[in-house]
Amino acid sequence: MSVLEQDIKKDTLCSSKRSISNYLWSDPPDENKWADCVHCGMCLEACPTYELTGQEQQSPRGRVHLIKSVAEGKLEVNDKFAAPIFDCLDCRACTTACPADVDVGGLIEEARGQIRQAMPLEGWKGRVSKLFLQDIIPNQKRLNSVGGLLDFYQKSGMQKVVRNTGLLNILPEHLVKMEAVLPKLNKSVKEPYKHQTFIQAKGETKHQVSFIKGCIMDVMFSDINQSTINVLTLNGNDVTIPENQTCCGALHVHAGDRETGRRLAKQNIEAFKDSDKVIVNSAGCGCMLKEYPELFREEPEWQKRAEEFSQKVEDISKYLYDTGFRKPNTELKTRITYHDACHLAHGQGIHQEPREILYSIPGVEMVTMPNSDRCCGSAGIYNITNPEMAEAVLDSKMENVPDEVEMISMGNPGCMLQMAMGVQKYGRNQKIVHTVQLLDWAYQEEEKQGRESVGEKRGEI
Amino acid sequence: MKYNDKHIESLAKIVGPNSILYHKEDVIAYDCDGFTLEKFLPKAVVFPKNTSEVSSLVKYCSSNEIPFLARGAGTGLSGGAIPLNGEVIISLVKMKRLISVDLENRRAVVEPGFVNLKLTNSIADKGYYYAPDPSSQYCCTIGGNVAENAGGAHCLKYGVTTNHILGLEVVLPNGEIIEIGQEGIPDAPGYDLLGLLTGSEGTLGIVTKITVRILKNPEAKQTVLAYFNKIEDGSQAVSDIISSGIVPAALEMMDKTAIEGVEAAAFPVGHPKDIEALLLIEVDGISVGIEEQISDILRVCKNHNVREVKVAQDEQERSRWWANRKTGFGAMGAISPDYLVQDGVIPRSKLPEVLKKIHEISVDSGLRIANIFHAGDGNLHPLILFDAREEGAAQKALEAGSKCLKVCSDVGGSITGEHGVGIEKINEMHFIFSEQEINIQTNIREVFNPNNLLNSGKLFPSPSRCVEIKKVSKTMTS
Repeated sequence: MSVLEQDIKKDTLCSSKRSISNYLWSDPPDENKWADCVHCGMCLEACPTYELTGQEQQSPRGRVHLIKSVAEGKLEVNDKFAAPIFDCLDCRACTTACPADVDVGGLIEEARGQIRQAMPLEGWKGRVSKLFLQDIIPNQKRLNSVGGLLDFYQKSGMQKVVRNTGLLNILPEHLVKMEAVLPKLNKSVKEPYKHQTFIQAKGETKHQVSFIKGCIMDVMFSDINQSTINVLTLNGNDVTIPENQTCCGALHVHAGDRETGRRLAKQNIEAFKDSDKVIVNSAGCGCMLKEYPELFREEPEWQKRAEEFSQKVEDISKYLYDTGFRKPNTELKTRITYHDACHLAHGQGIHQEPREILYSIPGVEMVTMPNSDRCCGSAGIYNITNPEMAEAVLDSKMENVPDEVEMISMGNPGCMLQMAMGVQKYGRNQKIVHTVQLLDWAYQEEEKQGRESVGEKRGEI
Repeated sequence: MKYNDKHIESLAKIVGPNSILYHKEDVIAYDCDGFTLEKFLPKAVVFPKNTSEVSSLVKYCSSNEIPFLARGAGTGLSGGAIPLNGEVIISLVKMKRLISVDLENRRAVVEPGFVNLKLTNSIADKGYYYAPDPSSQYCCTIGGNVAENAGGAHCLKYGVTTNHILGLEVVLPNGEIIEIGQEGIPDAPGYDLLGLLTGSEGTLGIVTKITVRILKNPEAKQTVLAYFNKIEDGSQAVSDIISSGIVPAALEMMDKTAIEGVEAAAFPVGHPKDIEALLLIEVDGISVGIEEQISDILRVCKNHNVREVKVAQDEQERSRWWANRKTGFGAMGAISPDYLVQDGVIPRSKLPEVLKKIHEISVDSGLRIANIFHAGDGNLHPLILFDAREEGAAQKALEAGSKCLKVCSDVGGSITGEHGVGIEKINEMHFIFSEQEINIQTNIREVFNPNNLLNSGKLFPSPSRCVEIKKVSKTMTS
C-alpha cells in the first residue's frame, strides 16, 4: 500500500479519530483499556515471558506501552511491533496481578486484529493457518474427517510405521513431540447418542442446560465430553446439544482473525438463543464465550445479544459446584494434583470450585502444586506457533509438578496436551485428566459396586 | 550479525547478540520507569549475565564517552532509570540469583536483579525474612532498592534498606570492580561507603552483588484496622500512638480518595466510602506484651472518636488488608488514567496541618489528590490524579506535586523519604539545600563518576538543568 493510500484509509476508517494513530483498521485497541494502566509494574513477575526474557517489551506493561505507542503514532504496525504482541501467551496472569484490573488480554487481542489486517500471514504459514483456522476447525464434518485420518493413522498401524521408520525426523521437532502425545481418538460425543440433541436427566429433572461441545474437544477428547454429559445427567440436568453450534472462535481471536471470530460468535449466539444455561468444559472456550461482547464493540445490536449470551455461559466445574453436585460415595483411591488452566483461573476467576469437586471424591488425595496458576505454555495454539518459548514455559511448569502424584487434573484440553508433552519429556508417568472425568469415574465406580446413588449433598463441604 | 552502529556491535560482542536490544520497537518500553511523565529513548538495552560483563560494558561506555545507566525492574517512582541522555541501559534483571543464605550469621547474598519478595519467600520456611518491604516488593529488585534506599510499610520499626545492607560489590564508572563492607563489620574503619552508595540513585556505581541482613520472623504479630470520620482524628491518633511509646511495625494511613481507589480496584476490602481516614496498624515482636500494645492502640483510637476498629482475626484477613494497601498506587488506575506520586516527609505532629494544605493545593489545581502513606514516620505519598490526554494536565500535576513538597519542607520536613529524587524532584532539591550544599555533594559524585557519564542529570540539579527540565515537561505535555 502506498503512503497516500494509507492516509486515505486512515481518514475513512478512523474518521471519528482523525488522529496520529497508526491503527488503520476498524476495531482498534480500546484506549480506555490502557488508560487504566499506570505503569506500576506489579504485573511483571506474573508474566511467564517476562520471567524468561527479562525484557520489558515481553512484559504486560511493556506490551501495553507498545500498543499505546502505536496509537500515539510513535510506532508503526510492523514485524518488530508484532513480535512481542504475538509472543504473549494470553494467559491473563497479569489481569489477576494488576491492581487496576487492566484488561491486557483484551488489548493484545485487539492489537493482533490490527496486525493481521495490516500484515496478513503469507507463504506456508498463511496457507496452514487458513486451512486450520478457517477451513477445518469451524467445520465439523471436515474436522471429523481430519479426526478420521488421525484415527486411521493411529489404528492402521501407520503411526507405528512412521514412528519406527524415522519419518518423524523430517517434521519440525515440536510437532514430533506433540505427535507423541496425541490422545487416542474417539468418536464425536454425538455418535453414541446417534445425533440426539436431547439427553434426559437420570432421575428427577432439576435443571435444563445446553452443552457446547467444542471443536477440538469433540474430536480429540470426546471421552471428556462424554464424562461431562454423564455428570450433568446424573445430577438432574436435562442436556440439550443444539445442532448449529460451532467452534467458539478463541483460536481465531488469539491469532488476530477477529472477523472469523465474529462470524462464529454470531452462529453460536444464534444456536443457543433458546438456552438458559450454556455449559462448557474447556476453559479456553469458556473464557472466549464469556468475552463475546468484546468482539462487537462496533455492532451495538450484536453486542447486546452477545452480552445476554455470555451471561448464560458457565464452566462445568463452577456450575456443578453452584448447583450442589452429589458427592460420590465410593472411594477412588488415587493421589493427584491440580493445575489451574489460565483461562479458568485468570480468565474466569475460577480457582476453588474444581478443587472442591476433587476434594469431594472419597479416597482422592490432593497434593498442592506450587505456582499452580502459572501457565503451562499451551495457550491455545501457542505451543505450535511459538514452540521455543512454549517449551521453556513448560519446563518451569514441570519443575512444580509434585513427584508423588499419579494424576494431574485440570479443566482445559490445550493444557492437557501440553502437560502430556511435559510428562513425556521428563519421563514422568502421571496421567493427565479433566476434573469432570474424575468425578465421572467416581460415579461409575459407585455404579460398578452396585450401590444406590444416595450420597450426601455437597452442601456439607 | 550485521550492525549499522559500531558501538552497538561492540556492546553486542560483550553480552552476545541475544542480550542486546536496540531497535526502536524493542527499546521504547524502556523510555520510562514507574515515573511516566518524561520519556526518552535509550540507545540500547544490554543484559549482562555477570559482574565481569557489567565491568566490560562500563569500560567500553566510559572509554567511548557513551552515557549509561543501570536499571532493575523499572518500578522506581522518581525516574531514576529514565535514559535522559539516550543512555545505554544496563539492565540487571538477568543477574537474579540468590547466591547464598547464611542463617547462622543472618545474612544472604543476592545478585542485583533478585526480586525483593523472593528473598523472603525463599527463607520463610526456615523462619526468616528480609525486612524492607516497599509496596512494589512483588516485582522490584534488591539492586534497585539499594540504589533508591527503598523504604516500605514496615520500615517504621525496622529501618529502610540502608539499615539492612552489609556488603556490596560495585562496578565503578571506570569499570573497576570493588567490594565494600564485605565482612559485615558493623562499624568498619574509614568512611561509611556502604551508606554513601546506598541511596546514591545509581550515580556512583553499579551494584553487582549485595549482602543483606535477614531477620528472624517475629514470634507474634497483630494487625488493626481503624476507621475515622474525621481526618484530624486519624492524624491525632497516629501522633498519640507513637508518643505513648509504642513502636508499631507499621502505621499506615489512607484518606477518602485513596479508599475510593483501592475499593474500585482489584483487591477491595469493603472499607466504608464515607470515612475520611483509615489507619492500618501492625505490631509485632515477642508474644508477651503484644496484647497490651493492641489494647493501648484501641484505647488511643477510641479517644479520637474512631468509628470502627477491628483486629485481624486470621492471617487471611491480615493479608487481604495488606494486599489492598500495597497495591494502592496501581489501584489509582481504576479511578484515574495517570497519577504522579509525591514522597514528602514531615514531623508527625504536623500531619493535620500538612494534610489540610495538600487539600487546598488539590482544590486550587482542580486535580484530585489521594493520600496513601506511612503515617508512622511522617512519610507522605500524595497521589496527584490527572489525565495526561488533557492539555496541560501533566504540567499542572507536576506543579501541584512541587507545591506539596514545598509545604513539607516549609514545616521542617524533606522532599523525599524513600522514592528518591531522580529527575522528578531535582528542582525541589533547592527547597532543602543551598547551592553550596549541592556543590559539595556533586563534588563527592565527581570522585566516583568524574565524567558524569553514569546516570547523568539525576539527583542533583545543575544550574542549567533546571531550565531544561521545565522545557522538557512543557514540550512533553503539548
